[in-house]
Amino acid sequence: MRQRALAGFAAAGLTLSAVPFFGLPAFYESFLYLVFHWIVLAVSWNIFSGYSGYFSFGHGAFFGAGMYTTATLATKADVPFLWTLPAAALVAALFGIALGAVAFRVRRLRGELFALLTLAVTFVLATIVLNTPIDGGPGLVLSAVPLPAIGPSPSSTFYLLGLALALATLWIAREVQRSKLGTGLFAIHDDEDVAEVLGVPTYRYKLAAFGLSCGLAGVAGGIQAMFISYVTVGETFSIAVPLYVVLMSVLGGSRHWFGPAVGAAGVTALLYAFTAGDYAVAGRAAVGLILILVILFLPEGIFGQAVRALERRRVSVAPAIDAAELPAPTAAPPAEGKTLLEARGLSKAFRGVQALAGVDLEVRRGEILGLVGPNGSGKSTLINVVSGHFRPDSGRILFEGRDLAALEAHRIARTGLARTYQIPRPFAHLSVLENVALPAMFGRDALPRAEAESEARRWLAFTGLAAKAAALPGELNLHQRKFLELARALASRPGLLLLDEVFSGLTHVEIDDAIRLIRAIRAQGATIVFVEHVIRAVMELTDRIVVLSYGRVIAEGDPRAVMREPDVVAAYLGKPHA
Amino acid sequence: MLEVERIRVSYGAAPAISEVSLRIGAGELACVVGPNGAGKTTLINAIAGLHRIEAGALKLDGRDLSHLPRHAFCGEGIAIVPEGRRLFAGMSVRENLELGSYRRAARARRAESLERVCEVFPILLERLEQPAGTLSGGQQQMLAIGRALMARPRLLLLDEPSLGLAPAVVLAVFNVIKEINAGGVAVLLVEQNVALALEIAARAYVLEEGRITAEGRPQELLAQPHIRRAYLG
Repeated sequence: MRQRALAGFAAAGLTLSAVPFFGLPAFYESFLYLVFHWIVLAVSWNIFSGYSGYFSFGHGAFFGAGMYTTATLATKADVPFLWTLPAAALVAALFGIALGAVAFRVRRLRGELFALLTLAVTFVLATIVLNTPIDGGPGLVLSAVPLPAIGPSPSSTFYLLGLALALATLWIAREVQRSKLGTGLFAIHDDEDVAEVLGVPTYRYKLAAFGLSCGLAGVAGGIQAMFISYVTVGETFSIAVPLYVVLMSVLGGSRHWFGPAVGAAGVTALLYAFTAGDYAVAGRAAVGLILILVILFLPEGIFGQAVRALERRRVSVAPAIDAAELPAPTAAPPAEGKTLLEARGLSKAFRGVQALAGVDLEVRRGEILGLVGPNGSGKSTLINVVSGHFRPDSGRILFEGRDLAALEAHRIARTGLARTYQIPRPFAHLSVLENVALPAMFGRDALPRAEAESEARRWLAFTGLAAKAAALPGELNLHQRKFLELARALASRPGLLLLDEVFSGLTHVEIDDAIRLIRAIRAQGATIVFVEHVIRAVMELTDRIVVLSYGRVIAEGDPRAVMREPDVVAAYLGKPHA
Repeated sequence: MLEVERIRVSYGAAPAISEVSLRIGAGELACVVGPNGAGKTTLINAIAGLHRIEAGALKLDGRDLSHLPRHAFCGEGIAIVPEGRRLFAGMSVRENLELGSYRRAARARRAESLERVCEVFPILLERLEQPAGTLSGGQQQMLAIGRALMARPRLLLLDEPSLGLAPAVVLAVFNVIKEINAGGVAVLLVEQNVALALEIAARAYVLEEGRITAEGRPQELLAQPHIRRAYLG
């Protein structure tokens, strides 16, 4: 697959690089250079912002950083033009990484806040450049900088440079999309918290993709500085660059590496088709109109929608899986009775509400422990703290002897701990199969994609979802979404499984199915903690129960005995359990 | 009061429910039971105006609502507690409740309604100024029910109100539903806790694979062994 793609890229590169040698008028070479230029900007923007959903309006800043790096080095330090390009990449990438290192640490800085922050950074950078010796006001003139003769003429040299960079950017975008990094970014796009809990190192991935995206924009800026040969703050840091880049990506389709290239080529062609006469305004209006139509009728972009239509046509029939073929047991068969997880003095408060007030909890290897208690007693918070979504205010959590309290959620996932959510939180834009394959790729075993997918298919068969592998989660009903949640937790082959209300909303018969399923999971060696209000399931499944109330353990032990304790009846059941 | 006549709702090409008819008399409490994926949520959402009805009619007091815009359903006195709660997570508990009484007739009685909701769910009174997103799952469910009650509906649609609630709270919620119903509000209840639902309902419908397969008074349905086995064990 990769060989074929590489051959395709090489063929495209060779064919297109022959163009200048056919004596094309310089105007066309310059026009095509601009097409490549916008392809690089749009595709590089997409590597981070399109894949991960963090819309950046700061692409102009990184592009501009590259421009001024080349302009400064070439005019003030006499660095040869081509040598300034790696520097342009580096400066832009470091600038992006520095910004990301701050912004990505703040959980609230998602969505529109991130977009606004990047926009603000553009203006700050523009002000700095304008008022320091970097520019100082008049702009930088590069007309005296020698241009290496790569092509037969200056315009063909720019054409070839643009072509090379565009192909390189497209290749990188393609590789990222198909890599683990890409999978992680698409998961971040849909639900960052869940991605982290399933083992995706979200902070590092965002930083890497952002750095890559900015670096490529920096190179494009370096070449552009030479192309226009007169660099000014007003032109460089204008709002037009990020707006066009976002528009092109959305127009082409931001969920595919090639989509933004289609958008960039289309928009550039349209704009220039009209500048020939006095139609520039009409050209912009046409672009606007097309954008409106695409957003209304092709929400996934022109290219995105085309790809989807093709995929629909060749609906792959999932290989039949023998339902009896259950996954092999997890690595270590449980030595029953020993402590697997131990929490001591766990506390967590939210705005004055004490959700956990010093909880001690012991989970023994191989057992099924029921966690019950009134609403708001801290059950879900306990799961959130153990799985690393929240840091405890105080207390220790020892899992197989390791303290989890200070670990990031994705590291906890890799120790072999998995959880489900009360209200299922699938990745909405990933297929059911991709949803389940993801934790296998990022969990303890870190399987390669192909193996992760066959692992995922086994768990889908196990939970009865095999027929839905290609569907999107939105097409599933509640019962199926709950089982998807379960399959996703199982796919990392966890040693400890934390289940948050898997039974709620199921009918009697479905509860019977789910009980069988959980027994089968335990039989394979997993230890299970489950939060549940369906008392029948609690009584049938658990070896022990722990009752929480107001963030404290009020009872624990044998299910039947505990459910008769007057405190438990009063606080939780309302009437004695028969 | 509510007459649903042979309605069909589809997602894409496949109908989710078809030829579904049901009636709820003024002040009646009806419930719909059935397996997951049968179309219960689709049915209740269609009655709340959240889905386009492709065929059939939806009549409230004899007037056809099937072509009314979504927001107008609230004005007709229909309120829904949707699946998955759908609260305004960033707003406070109080704001969520107040939004429930957005309708003019309900706004006039806002203070009284608020007091009533807090009586039923005392925990909400404690948490009035907290963002709804910080409530526990079960408390959010209480808030979703409370918000629907704030609308002072004539017809209350409840999609799995007991989901995620502790047993003691489930009992309390069902008592409230009974009380609201006794006060003259018609109720349509979709519920997996079939035993409880049938206990309080005057009329029950079994929905399977998008069609009504049985209906009648709860005792009549319970007399049928296959229904007992499927839904009560």
